[in-house]
Amino acid sequence: MVAIYSFWDERKLLVFVALIIVAASVSLLEIDASRNGRQSPIDVVVGAVYTPLQAGLTRMVEAVGTGVHDVLHAGEFAAQNQALQDKAGKLAAANQRLQADAAENRELRRLLAMKQTLPGDAVVADIIGYVPESTRREVTVDRGSRDGVHRDSVVVSGDGLVGHVLSVGPHEARVLLVIDPESAVPAYLRRSRSWGIVTGTWLHAKMKYIDQNATLQQGDIVVTGHGEIYPSGILIGTVREIDRKDNALYQTAVLEPAVDFHSLQHVLVYTSP
Amino acid sequence: MVRSSPPRVLFGPQRPVDAGAAAPPRFALLLLLAAIAVLLQVTLAHAWTLRGAQPSLLTVLIVWTGLRCGPTTGGWLGLIGGVLEDALGGGGANVLGGALVGFLSGLLSSRYFAESLTVVIAAVAGGTIVRNAVSYIVLEIAYGDRGTYHRFAHATAWEVLLNCALAAIVVLALRWWSNRRPAI
Repeated sequence: MVAIYSFWDERKLLVFVALIIVAASVSLLEIDASRNGRQSPIDVVVGAVYTPLQAGLTRMVEAVGTGVHDVLHAGEFAAQNQALQDKAGKLAAANQRLQADAAENRELRRLLAMKQTLPGDAVVADIIGYVPESTRREVTVDRGSRDGVHRDSVVVSGDGLVGHVLSVGPHEARVLLVIDPESAVPAYLRRSRSWGIVTGTWLHAKMKYIDQNATLQQGDIVVTGHGEIYPSGILIGTVREIDRKDNALYQTAVLEPAVDFHSLQHVLVYTSP
Repeated sequence: MVRSSPPRVLFGPQRPVDAGAAAPPRFALLLLLAAIAVLLQVTLAHAWTLRGAQPSLLTVLIVWTGLRCGPTTGGWLGLIGGVLEDALGGGGANVLGGALVGFLSGLLSSRYFAESLTVVIAAVAGGTIVRNAVSYIVLEIAYGDRGTYHRFAHATAWEVLLNCALAAIVVLALRWWSNRRPAI
């Protein structure tokens, strides 16, 4: 016998009615929960299962997408990398210029402060050369007689005494540094008021002819004493070592100059006492 | 006399099956596919939006299941898929439509071949329209979302297009897969 299926046979009708009842019930449950702003039990169960799956799938898709994007845009990234490296190089150069300008600014401010503490007129000069022979400790500055510089003009930096002018041209002058052995600067210890003469030792300076009875300490500050060339009170350096012999007439102190002669760029040249 | 019975779908009357026709997929497998379809839809479908519409993997699966397995299996799968969608943010608007579309697609199975591309595409188009219409009616009744018909109709039209394209791809892929398998 061949079974004849009608379009709406009894079983299909039963399934249809069951489906509609169940679907309507679930729908009403969901609508009620949604309208009251809460989650239905079905939402809670399904959410608990799906949330980690969604998170994992999303992360996986993002990772794959990022990888594909990186591969597709590798050339563009390389160009961007090159451009950024160029930019970084330019910024580094600009940064170095700014740092140099800032250092120069600080030095000029110190020079200005020094100028305000000392009497007389002065001009700012740049160091433009060093004496080629290593036997002399001299520098050349870009100010000369036309700027009012004259022989024996005192030269200072923001840190202290540099030296004095040895010879003058119209546009430049040669300056004998205090660390040159030919230099002789009358000076005194600020703490004990003991006098002496500061001469150079190529790299440092030493203060000779200090009274044997004077009490010296490391770190004592040495400044210029008033003389024919130098005004009083310009910082020369600090005492680093003390050489005292009982049978000698004087003591000698090795000084650490206040000025770093290797990094001099700008100095102040006094044009009038 | 021992007689080999046709593969059991879920419950309900069994259809006579051609000797060459492949056995319908198990309901557990269909449930897994529905769960995956919903997962892909809620996670990735936002990337496939066309003029405000997204393809519905679940609708295609429900229609295909109805055509392939009958109204009972199609209806229950549509109901469960709709429940999953509603639980993940549908607000109760999807379950009725899903169940109805699955059942109605199943009614076509006694008259048409599920392997026919034309039948599947036509059924998917009709199923999409029915699902969206039911959802729209539920939303209107339950939430009073008046005046959204034009937006809804516009999105439905584009979704029909996307779902039909998706269904065509799926059917062609299944054909290629079945032809690739060696004959027993």
